[in-house]
Amino acid sequence: MKLIRCIPYVLKQVTRHRVRSLLTVMGIAIAMFLFTAVQAMNRGVTEATTATANDTTLVVYREDRYCPATSQLPQDYQRRIEGIEGVVSVTPMKVVVSNCRTSLDVVTFRGVPKEEFLKGMGKRLELIDGSAEDWLARTDAALLGETLAARRNLKPGMRFDAAGITATVAGIVRSPDPQDQNVAYTALEFVQLAGRDQLGIVTQFNVKVEESSLLEPVSKDIDELFSTAQEPTATFGEKAFIGRLADDIIELVGFARWLGLGCLAAVLALVANSIILGVQSRISEHAVLQTLGFKSGHVAALIVTEGVLLAVIGGMLGAAGALAVARFGKFALSVEGTSIPITANSGLLLTGIVVCIIIGVLAGLVPAWQASRRSIVECFRSV
Amino acid sequence: MSFIQCNDLTREYRKGEEVIRPLDGLDLEIPRGDFLALMGPSGSGKTTLLNLIAGIDSPTKGSLVIDGQDIGKLSRNKLAAWRSEHVGYVFQLYNLVPVLTAYENVELPLLLHDLSKKERHERVMQSLERVAIADRAAHFPRQLSGGQEQRVAIARAIVTDPDIIVADEPTGDLDKPSAHAVMSLLQMLNQELGKTIVMVTHDPKTTDYATRTLHLDKGRLVEQVVAA
Repeated sequence: MKLIRCIPYVLKQVTRHRVRSLLTVMGIAIAMFLFTAVQAMNRGVTEATTATANDTTLVVYREDRYCPATSQLPQDYQRRIEGIEGVVSVTPMKVVVSNCRTSLDVVTFRGVPKEEFLKGMGKRLELIDGSAEDWLARTDAALLGETLAARRNLKPGMRFDAAGITATVAGIVRSPDPQDQNVAYTALEFVQLAGRDQLGIVTQFNVKVEESSLLEPVSKDIDELFSTAQEPTATFGEKAFIGRLADDIIELVGFARWLGLGCLAAVLALVANSIILGVQSRISEHAVLQTLGFKSGHVAALIVTEGVLLAVIGGMLGAAGALAVARFGKFALSVEGTSIPITANSGLLLTGIVVCIIIGVLAGLVPAWQASRRSIVECFRSV
Repeated sequence: MSFIQCNDLTREYRKGEEVIRPLDGLDLEIPRGDFLALMGPSGSGKTTLLNLIAGIDSPTKGSLVIDGQDIGKLSRNKLAAWRSEHVGYVFQLYNLVPVLTAYENVELPLLLHDLSKKERHERVMQSLERVAIADRAAHFPRQLSGGQEQRVAIARAIVTDPDIIVADEPTGDLDKPSAHAVMSLLQMLNQELGKTIVMVTHDPKTTDYATRTLHLDKGRLVEQVVAA
């Protein structure tokens, strides 16, 4: 209670050296921007690659192939896979990407049998603009993931080019699956015809099974079925498949975590430096406070509060900035037709604030302890 | 029993191998309502005695009993609480917090007391009015003259209604008229409010306002002058 009354005093101390405080807050904001951005990437990777109990989708890929251009499977595998016990539906898919490398702006075309798709895999899609009928009616029509449409500013009726394919936007869809957010769903034949000798060839099959416990046995059955075929298969759970293709991204994000920790260390150093400078310049002032009756703990708490205030102001600015960029930029890390969106929500902002409070406390602890333990008389003598 | 009683009061500091003893076995009694001036050459122990009475330093040996309480035996935190209740300190260089207004500076010690905002306001304004500086309540220290700053410092010292006011050369940094005004103010606090005042001074003229003057040398009492 007594400390709450002292908050105006703390605020005045923070604004006492405006330039120093401003520079400190800016430094913290930049570091927390980077930290939050790394956290957002990390969260995207986790969401895209961590399997859950609700997962019931397998991806059948060409064995020993790691990119859509080289994974070529005969489309007629579909009927044979459908015959395996536990399989609910099989969606053949031809994937074409505008850029094979890791990039923030990749367009992935997924050619699918339209009507089958809408009855099966496509059920999770919510049409938020345009018309499903248009998509079914037109050969070159594409259903665009919300993120892709926003990033390229595409609306229904507009035409766009990517990966040598020209398509017309028939609708924009929203999906809980990050993989749907950066793709353009088109007719299977349309995408097959875009490549040379690709009719009857697909990149992968998305296989829906009855329940998640069947993922493993069905994937074994599929791979055994085609083990002696000219094009053997490798079948994975959908999340594991994404993890396999996006290995480079995962490694990169893993490394970026260290950068994030480095940012936190920078914040700690900045706040601690500012607090130490502030405490050193106010030795006699703290002695006066103690002479007036402030206990050592009061003085220490005032100093720590200063640190927390600086860290939280800077941290909120930085984290909010990163969130805004991630939300409005709609970025996704894409590689080999898989997409890992940079997901940011208010939870990240909260994490940033909590981290800043902890850092503020840590940064203020040592100078606060030193200031509060000094002899009052020694303090007056030293100035 | 006297209000303030020092028995064999000793304070030692270590400076490397050397032991410095600014106060050496002092015996002293100060009755309630006294206005005591402490004089003596530099290093005579007068500021050390003042700091011990103010509770911002602790004796190495001997006892210092104030109003029945041996403050030398109090812990750091208890001593802080005791200071906030019983002592008002007036510094030579005022020591106001520069980022706070005169009002906020005076309010600072009250933040430690369980008072409502309204009660704090009343007490701050009362103190400022008593030292005739209420019209400068919204001014920052840099906007005040030395004399005005010292008035604010005195208002801060009396706002908690302490029993003892200690003043370390309160006029040391002031011109003559301001020094006279500050001393008159301290005299008024002593005579009208019955505050016990202990003041360190180098200026013999300021001792005219005190009821008693003690001369210290090498940590010991050498002379006592009682006002006529």
